[in-house]
Amino acid sequence: MNALARLATGFAAALLEAWQELRIHKLRVLLSLIGVTVAVASLTTALAGAGMARQMMTESLERDGRPAMITTYAFDPSSDGGPQGDDSVAQAFEKTSERFKIDYTTMIGRSYGQQVVSQGVALDAETLVVEPDYAPMHRLVISQGRWLESEDAQNLSPAVVVDQNIIRELGLEGQQLPFTVDLVSNGDAVSVTVIGTSSSRSFGMSGQLWMLPATYEHWFSERAPLNEVSYKMWVPIEGSEELAMHFGQQMQAELPGYTVDSHREDYLMWGADESLKQLALVVSGIAVIILLLGSLSLLNVSMVTMKQRIREVGIRRSFGATTGRVFFSVMMESVVATAVAGGLGVLISVALVSNESLLNMVLATELDQMPPFPLDAALLGMGVSVAVGALTGVLPALVAARVKIVDAIRV
Amino acid sequence: MSDEPLLKLEDVTRSVRLPDDSELHILNGIDLTVSEGDHIAIVGRSGTGKSTLLNILGLLDRPTSGSLLWRGKDAARLSAKQAAHARGRDLGFVFQQFNLLPGRTALENVMAPLMYASGRDFWNRRKLATEALERVGLGGRLDSMPQTLSGGEQQRVAIARALVRRPRVVLADEPTGALDVSTGRAVMELLDSATVDSGAALITITHDSNVAALARGQFRLDSGRLHPLSEVVVR
Repeated sequence: MNALARLATGFAAALLEAWQELRIHKLRVLLSLIGVTVAVASLTTALAGAGMARQMMTESLERDGRPAMITTYAFDPSSDGGPQGDDSVAQAFEKTSERFKIDYTTMIGRSYGQQVVSQGVALDAETLVVEPDYAPMHRLVISQGRWLESEDAQNLSPAVVVDQNIIRELGLEGQQLPFTVDLVSNGDAVSVTVIGTSSSRSFGMSGQLWMLPATYEHWFSERAPLNEVSYKMWVPIEGSEELAMHFGQQMQAELPGYTVDSHREDYLMWGADESLKQLALVVSGIAVIILLLGSLSLLNVSMVTMKQRIREVGIRRSFGATTGRVFFSVMMESVVATAVAGGLGVLISVALVSNESLLNMVLATELDQMPPFPLDAALLGMGVSVAVGALTGVLPALVAARVKIVDAIRV
Repeated sequence: MSDEPLLKLEDVTRSVRLPDDSELHILNGIDLTVSEGDHIAIVGRSGTGKSTLLNILGLLDRPTSGSLLWRGKDAARLSAKQAAHARGRDLGFVFQQFNLLPGRTALENVMAPLMYASGRDFWNRRKLATEALERVGLGGRLDSMPQTLSGGEQQRVAIARALVRRPRVVLADEPTGALDVSTGRAVMELLDSATVDSGAALITITHDSNVAALARGQFRLDSGRLHPLSEVVVR
C-alpha cells in the first residue's frame, strides 16, 4: 500500500513538474507545438472527414438497398410487359422466402404516372409500393410521423409516406401530420393520408411516395397498373450469391411458365467502398508526413532546450530526484505538451468538420443530415499526439537522465 | 541524539584520469567524522579539492578508495536510487551561485525539493515551504521571482530550500562567495542559527577565514589533505 501511495505521489508530482515546466516556458512550448497541433488537426480532419464522407456515401448508397440485397424478378415470356407482380408471383416469392427463412423481404412496385395535388399545386410523383420491411432494408429515415405498418392496409383512407420534395414543392412544411393530399392517376383523384415524411429527397423536381401493396391494389391498380415489380431480400453478405442462385431455382420451380431471375444487387458488388478507402489512405499519408515533420521540430527544440537545462537537472538531482524520476518527468513534459497540442488539434478539427456550411462547400452538395464527428478519429488524434509526445520525449529524457550531477551543478 | 556519526570518511581518496592518461590526485587520505549538530568549516584555496570533498559528503560523487559511512552504512553499497533518496531525505545543499530554479517564484523554489518527498510532506508542500521562507525572513516575498531578489535574499531562499525537508546534514559550498561581506555574514549567521534550531549538522566549504571562524570545528584542505585547525566541538 505504501509502495502504491509512493508511486501515485511520484506520478502526480511528475505530472505537476511537467505542467510547471510548460507554464514557465509558454512561448517555447507554444512555438514548438504549433507543428504538432497542425499535424494532429490535419490527421484528425483527414480521418474524420474521410469517415464522415464514407458514412454519408454509405448511407446514400444504402438507400438503394443495404448489403447483401438480393433482387428477384419474374417475367412471363409470353407477355411484352416488364417484370410481373401478380398473385401467383407474390405467393411463390412468399413461399420460397419462408422456405429459406429470410427475415427481411419486400415487394417493390413502381408507378410513374401519378401526381400529388394540394391546394391547387400539382407535382409529378413516383409511387413505390412496398412492404413495412422496406424502410430498414433501405435505410429510410422518417423525419416526421411514422413509417407504414401492415395494419395501415385496413385504413379507410390510403396511408402514404412522402419525401421532402413533395413537402417542399407543395408548400407543406410545418403542416401537422397526418394531413391529406390528392393522388391523381389518369385524371382520377383519390384523397390519401400522409402519415409520415422521410428525410430523403429524390433527384430532380418530382416527388416520391410509399404505400402498402394492399393499399395500392385497392385504390389505384385499376387506374394505374404498376410499371414494374421486383422482390427484394436483405440477407447476410456471406453466402448471399449462392443463396440468390438457389432461391431463384426454387422460385422458378414454384412458377412454371415464368422466367425467374434472382441475383445480388447492392453497392458493395461494384466496390464503391474502395475509392473511399484509397482517399482516406492518401489523406492520412499526407497527415502522417506533416506529423513526422512536426515531431522532428518538437524533438529539435526539446533537445536544444535540454542542453540549456542541464544545470536545473543537476539541482533537482541534488534534491533527491532519481534517474528514473528525471527521465519520467522530462518525458512527461513532452507528453503533457503534445496532449494539450493534440487536444487543441482535435478541437480545431471538430470545428472544421462539424461546420455544415464549410462541409457543404467542400463536398459541393447539401446534406440532409449532418453526420456526427467520428469519435474514433478524435481518439486516434489524441492517441497519436500522446504517442508523439512519448517518442519525442525519450531522447531529451535520456540526455537528462544521463547527466552527471557534479558536472551539471557546475555548468 | 544518537552516538552514531552521520558521516564518516576513512582514508578517502579521489583521483581522476586526465586526457594524457596521467592521474590527478584530488583528495588523499581524508578522515572526517560528522555527527548531529556539528558545524564544520573546511577552508582552502581554489583548486584544493574542497568541492570534490563536498560532493563526496553529499553523495553526489564516490571516493576512488577509502570508505564513506553514511549513518553507519557503507555508501559504496548504496544504489543510485538509495543515494538519491538519502540526498532528498537527509541532505540539504546551499550553493555559491544560489542555484535557484529559473522562472519559478521563491515559494516554488522552496517547494521544489518537496516534489520528491512522499506522503504528507508532498501534499503539504505549500504550507511547509511558506513556513520555511518565513523562518528566513522572506514571508513577504513568497511570489517574488529570483531576479527581483537581492543576492542575500536569493541565498536565504536557497537556505530555506535546503532546510525545508528537515535534513540531518546541510552542505554549504561557498555560501557567501557571491555576496558582499556584511550580507555574507548575515547569511552565515542565519544558516548557523537555522541549523542549530533544526539540529542539523552544517558543513561549510569556504575560502573565507571569517566565515570559517563561525564554525566550531575547522579544517584546512591543502594538497588534497585535510588538517584540523581545531578540534570538532559538539554543540
